[in-house]
Amino acid sequence: MRQLLVMTAADLRQRLRDRTVLIFGLLVPLGLMLVFNLVFGGSDDVELRPVVVAVSAPAGDAFAAVVLDAVESVDAVDVTVTRGDPVEVAARTRSGDADLGVAVPQGFTAALQAGGSTEVDITEGGEAGLETDIVVSVVDGVVARLHAASVAARAGAVAGLPADRLEGLAARAAEGPDITLVPGAAADEQLSPAGAVVAGQAGLFLLFTVGFGVLGLLAEREQGTLDRLRSMPIRPGLVVAAKALAGFVLGVLATAVLLVAGALLFDVGFGSPAGVAVLVVVAVAAATSLTFVVVRVARTAEQANVAQSILALVLGVAGGAFFPLSATGPVGVLLDLNPVAALIRGLGITAGGGGLTDLAGPVTTLLGFALVATLLSGLVPDRGAAR
Amino acid sequence: MTAATTRAAAGPPAVAGDVLVVEGLVHRYGDLVAVDDVSFRIAPGETFGLLGPNGAGKTTTISMVAGLVPAHEGAVTVTGRSMARDPVAAKAHLGLVPQELAIYPELTARENLTFFGRLQRMRGKELDRRVAEVLELIGLEERAKDLTKEYSGGMKRRLNIGVGLLHRPALLILDEPTVGVDPQSRNAILESVEALAAEGVAVLYTTHYMEEAERLCDRIAVVDAGRLQAEGTRDELVRLTGGVDHVRLSGAGDIGAAAAALRSLPTVVEVAADRSALTLTVRDAARAVAHLVTAATAAGMSLDGVEVSRPDLESVFLHLTGKALRD
Repeated sequence: MRQLLVMTAADLRQRLRDRTVLIFGLLVPLGLMLVFNLVFGGSDDVELRPVVVAVSAPAGDAFAAVVLDAVESVDAVDVTVTRGDPVEVAARTRSGDADLGVAVPQGFTAALQAGGSTEVDITEGGEAGLETDIVVSVVDGVVARLHAASVAARAGAVAGLPADRLEGLAARAAEGPDITLVPGAAADEQLSPAGAVVAGQAGLFLLFTVGFGVLGLLAEREQGTLDRLRSMPIRPGLVVAAKALAGFVLGVLATAVLLVAGALLFDVGFGSPAGVAVLVVVAVAAATSLTFVVVRVARTAEQANVAQSILALVLGVAGGAFFPLSATGPVGVLLDLNPVAALIRGLGITAGGGGLTDLAGPVTTLLGFALVATLLSGLVPDRGAAR
Repeated sequence: MTAATTRAAAGPPAVAGDVLVVEGLVHRYGDLVAVDDVSFRIAPGETFGLLGPNGAGKTTTISMVAGLVPAHEGAVTVTGRSMARDPVAAKAHLGLVPQELAIYPELTARENLTFFGRLQRMRGKELDRRVAEVLELIGLEERAKDLTKEYSGGMKRRLNIGVGLLHRPALLILDEPTVGVDPQSRNAILESVEALAAEGVAVLYTTHYMEEAERLCDRIAVVDAGRLQAEGTRDELVRLTGGVDHVRLSGAGDIGAAAAALRSLPTVVEVAADRSALTLTVRDAARAVAHLVTAATAAGMSLDGVEVSRPDLESVFLHLTGKALRD
């Protein structure tokens, strides 16, 4: 154990002295986080502007009044309603005085109750956007509910229900479903854009940072120190274990620093520290295991560095380090098994308030990845040693 | 007190028999037999040389001795410990100086020595004291705190050797330690090896420089194509050539007639001629050379130079393998 610590400490000292780890493990990802946040920052803070909606509703028409009330009651957007006849509504919309025109036709209620066809004219102005889309969807929903109420009333009449029961049925249908929308588990897996950038870059550069530790094994082989170490009275496997431990320590430290710095710089919260710590540790284990496969396959340190960079970029892009990527079927499963994706998914869960028990999925994925990569590194012939 | 402490205080441990015993080593790379049935022994204070050209199997042999590659057949024993059965104990008594500069460029000389010393289980003041001694021995005490990436090639080479002898091993293995070294540093390295042997360290030294082998080695094994072609002291090896000397007569005139005349002399074993010289293999050149000059001149050759060379390890290698050492 003492010899393991001696070797790991010497390795860490050298890695820190050559500054490569500091540059590629911390400065570059922090710089990229800054750039990505400048480019994509603020996209989650959409400010909805006030809109003017010109409405034409026939006087005394009960269902038209419901539509008008719905427009005036839209919560998400600050709506100013101006009343007028259909011609005025169209004119205001064309002139830009109104962003949206809603014209409820004469005989709207009667037409719905009779089961006939009727149309609510909706005209979007030149400045229409997300705000008017919201109002249109509200109108659309109200009209659909009124139609459903009419259908229910007619069906009741056909079935011979008494008038008072018919009124209740129609009223109930017009109210819409008795469902309360509560933000739940699905929303918990969503990171803010800034959070996604920080998590993605931390996941991507974790693969590079771990490489600086583990790939040192090939450098030792090339500079002859590996032979010297192996001629010393140490247990077989100690050199490899020291490299793994050095890579692991570097990975954990760099990722922790990136997440903390990213959180502070970009005002991102990742939730439970314990959950985040578990995620970081298993993600680093997965990255370290993968690097050992690279060490076995590569013949030289240069080859290993190139292979590691390619792997990091492929896994980073596929894992959503730069932008979200999704797919269905086998490709979707493959994307889910990506360690970078699993780390980002896990950080989304903790950011949404999830605890250790909620992390079973990503943690299992990362541990499984580490196990498979470790087994694979044991099976792959050591091409470098065969030189 | 640890074993390392004992060694540091009293020099290499007393070894009853041979420090290194190598018996029937074989190593194969696929179908190629790189080392074929190699056996030798080294006693305390003895310097044993493996002399052979590049690719002869020297490095593979010492890799097996140092426990870096397994022996497919045969056995290595260091101070009585089997490298196969108890490699950790066997390795504790050997120091390896690889051909490459096996030091860390991002560490200072002191840090390199301290790091390797700790892996040799040296500790505390004993380690500090020994590091200081080795720094002085290799002449790097003034630069001990500088990163080794800033060192010259000779300084790195000296540190490379210093690491190998830090823990006062009973057996020091040096694999071509003077390759690429300037003459001054080379001489310093050779003197260090001589001093270590004088202290009782058994040295296994590989080289393809005949002069180094002749200067340093008490016994020499000539290696070629993975096999020990011969083993013995320098004089024993030279006697294998049959005791013949070489005489080179250079000049002009009728060289063909001179060659024919010289072949008829009883002391001449072999004559090789080119356009400007005759190379003769003769018995007892010191006594025969006057007759050779007279016979060549009488046959019509006008001489402008005579060189007499006694047999050396180069001759031995040529005699044993049919090729030059540096081929």
